[in-house]
Amino acid sequence: MRALPRVGLRGRLVLVALVLLVIPWAGYSYIKATEQLLREQQERQLMAAARAVAAALHDRPRLATLREESPDGEAARAEVRALVTGIARAGLRIWVVDNRLQLIAVSGDIADHTVVGPDESTFGIVERVVRAALRPLLARWLDAPDLPAEEFIPNDVVFGGREVERALDGAPSLKRRPGPGGSAPIVTATHPVWIGETVVGATVVEESTAAAVSFRDRAIERLIAVTLIAFGAAALVLLVFASRISIRLRRLRDEAERAIDSRGHVRALVTGGDARDEIGDLSRSFSLALTRLADYNAYLEDLARRLAHELRTPIAVVRSSLDNLRMKKLPEDATVYVERAEGGLQRLDTVLTRMAEASRLEQAVRTGERERYDVTAVVAGCVAGYASAYPASRFNLKLSPHPVMINGAPDLYAQMLDKLVANAVDFAASGTPVEVSLQLRGTTAVLNVGNRGPLLPQNLRLFESMQSVRSTPLQGHDIHLGLGLYIVRLIAEFHRGRARAENLADGSGVRFSVEIPTLVVD
Amino acid sequence: MPHSIAIIEDDPAIGANYADALTAHGYAVELYADRKAAMAALQIRLPDLVLLDIGLAGEPDAGFGICRELRSQSATLPIIFLTARDNEFDMVSGLRLGADDYVTKNVSLPHLLARIAALFRRAELGSAAASGEDVLTRGELVMDLKRFAVTWNHKPVDLTLTEFWLVHALARFTGHVKNREQLMAEAHIVVDDSTITSHIKRMRRKFIAVDAGFDCIDTVYGMGYRWKADA
Repeated sequence: MRALPRVGLRGRLVLVALVLLVIPWAGYSYIKATEQLLREQQERQLMAAARAVAAALHDRPRLATLREESPDGEAARAEVRALVTGIARAGLRIWVVDNRLQLIAVSGDIADHTVVGPDESTFGIVERVVRAALRPLLARWLDAPDLPAEEFIPNDVVFGGREVERALDGAPSLKRRPGPGGSAPIVTATHPVWIGETVVGATVVEESTAAAVSFRDRAIERLIAVTLIAFGAAALVLLVFASRISIRLRRLRDEAERAIDSRGHVRALVTGGDARDEIGDLSRSFSLALTRLADYNAYLEDLARRLAHELRTPIAVVRSSLDNLRMKKLPEDATVYVERAEGGLQRLDTVLTRMAEASRLEQAVRTGERERYDVTAVVAGCVAGYASAYPASRFNLKLSPHPVMINGAPDLYAQMLDKLVANAVDFAASGTPVEVSLQLRGTTAVLNVGNRGPLLPQNLRLFESMQSVRSTPLQGHDIHLGLGLYIVRLIAEFHRGRARAENLADGSGVRFSVEIPTLVVD
Repeated sequence: MPHSIAIIEDDPAIGANYADALTAHGYAVELYADRKAAMAALQIRLPDLVLLDIGLAGEPDAGFGICRELRSQSATLPIIFLTARDNEFDMVSGLRLGADDYVTKNVSLPHLLARIAALFRRAELGSAAASGEDVLTRGELVMDLKRFAVTWNHKPVDLTLTEFWLVHALARFTGHVKNREQLMAEAHIVVDDSTITSHIKRMRRKFIAVDAGFDCIDTVYGMGYRWKADA
């Protein structure tokens, strides 16, 4: 199994979901613009209110007596107060000062009277929960004063404020200042009150911007909550979608990897076989390619069989001809050629038998009957037999002292050992022994066949059909078709075990191991 | 009158070679290249022995059909399958249809002649009583070496010629291990190891069919097989 890619399909799609973060940015700009609009509107309204109050007071002759300690002055003040009281409302404070900065009338207050509208939410309870969670975080950020410090005008110096002075000079003006205790800023509009050409006083209209600020805060809160929820939902949907694709692709990959088993048999793919999307297409075209490969493999397998079969007939012609020839009286010098021809024929026959052996063994393994048997007896018997089969070689045998019972076919096991030993004998450096050992390791019967001699090349598929990788064998008397180790593997797998080949740690030779699970340790 | 042998073989060179060799050994040989010609001639007069190829021109399994028809005409006619096919399945099919032996084409002519001679001897002797010196007795096993007949516990065991020779090779020297090469030499066959193994398995099965407790053919791993003396 290869390592997974660092950023999988899932991760990538979730990254793509980050594009959604452009939503809060756009939303924030929109909110800012709306807030600006509200603020300007409020300022215009305040200016209008200041002008209206001033207009109401313009040219009232009584105003001249405002400051007099007389019934007329008192009446004038009362009139102004009544007027101001009539206009002022909650949240809107109106001052009237005379040209000596004396307060004549004040009405209303600028306490926050923001009416909190119904708590609208797009995503219902979920959104409210998210907003409640976000509020403490947002409060810290949003409530920072947004007015520069140098324009700070304390509440109690309104009368000395430049705006009032400017109004008394005859110019209407507008001013924002921070609210008391860091609350929403307060907007102040001032307007001069004229009598003829003389400024007799000024109206000051103040209103808190709490409504706009509150609108902004709530909008930002909602925006963030909605964005978070939308982002979360989108990411979740993308994640699920990506996971589905990713799982299908991974399943397809695993299946494709397993589609060709170690014997070269090909299985069709099933993942997404009938899916009507690109993955389905991929799966189907994989299947098609594999089917063609299977056909080709079947053709090759059949070729070996057919070749063996087709060659048998001409060989039979040659053999029967030679046999007939032998029955005739041949000149002395002719027999030697007949013998050579027979020797060649014999070799050809061996090749054919080997070629057919693997396919016959595959058949035997498929239909093989299993029985319980003691491997030590098989190995001991075989190694005793090798002494006579390979008189030029020495064998060192190490056997487990206890019987090792496995489930399988002793004939096949012996055949496997034959192949391993034949291989080891062929490649052993002359004069060195072939080491055969059978040990019980845990619940595994481990057969080792080792020899000193040329090493195995790395990373080769030794145990597959028709692979012969080592240079010419040292003893060189046998034909190497590369089927021997393939047969070893077939038999090891028939016994539910596996075969391995490795170079000895000291680099002096090679060792083939077959590990087979045991049944019961007696 | 010489024994007549019909060779049914579609390869002219092989057919001619076998025909020449058999003629040289005094047999009267008829050669047929396909099923039609063979059946037409054999329905008129049966030969004394038939050598039969499985795959004939255009018909991959023609030999099986011919074997079945010949067997229905005569239960005793010796039939030898001589074919390039060496797989278990064909061998079992051929023997099940009543052939007396199954030989692959890499058999040498002397081996084939030995087989033919043995089958003629068996056919000639028929049911005549066996004389003492031609009988091998090993416990329950009685082998009539002339008639190639085997009984176990007085019940006949139906062995092919090859199997008979294998049993004989093993039982002659009880307890001695015979390796595969020795067995092949005695049975006049040249086959690979796994074919010997499957021959032995089939023989065991035939004895076990007669006596479930049969356990005389012993495998000595890495060496060969031996006939165990009865306890």
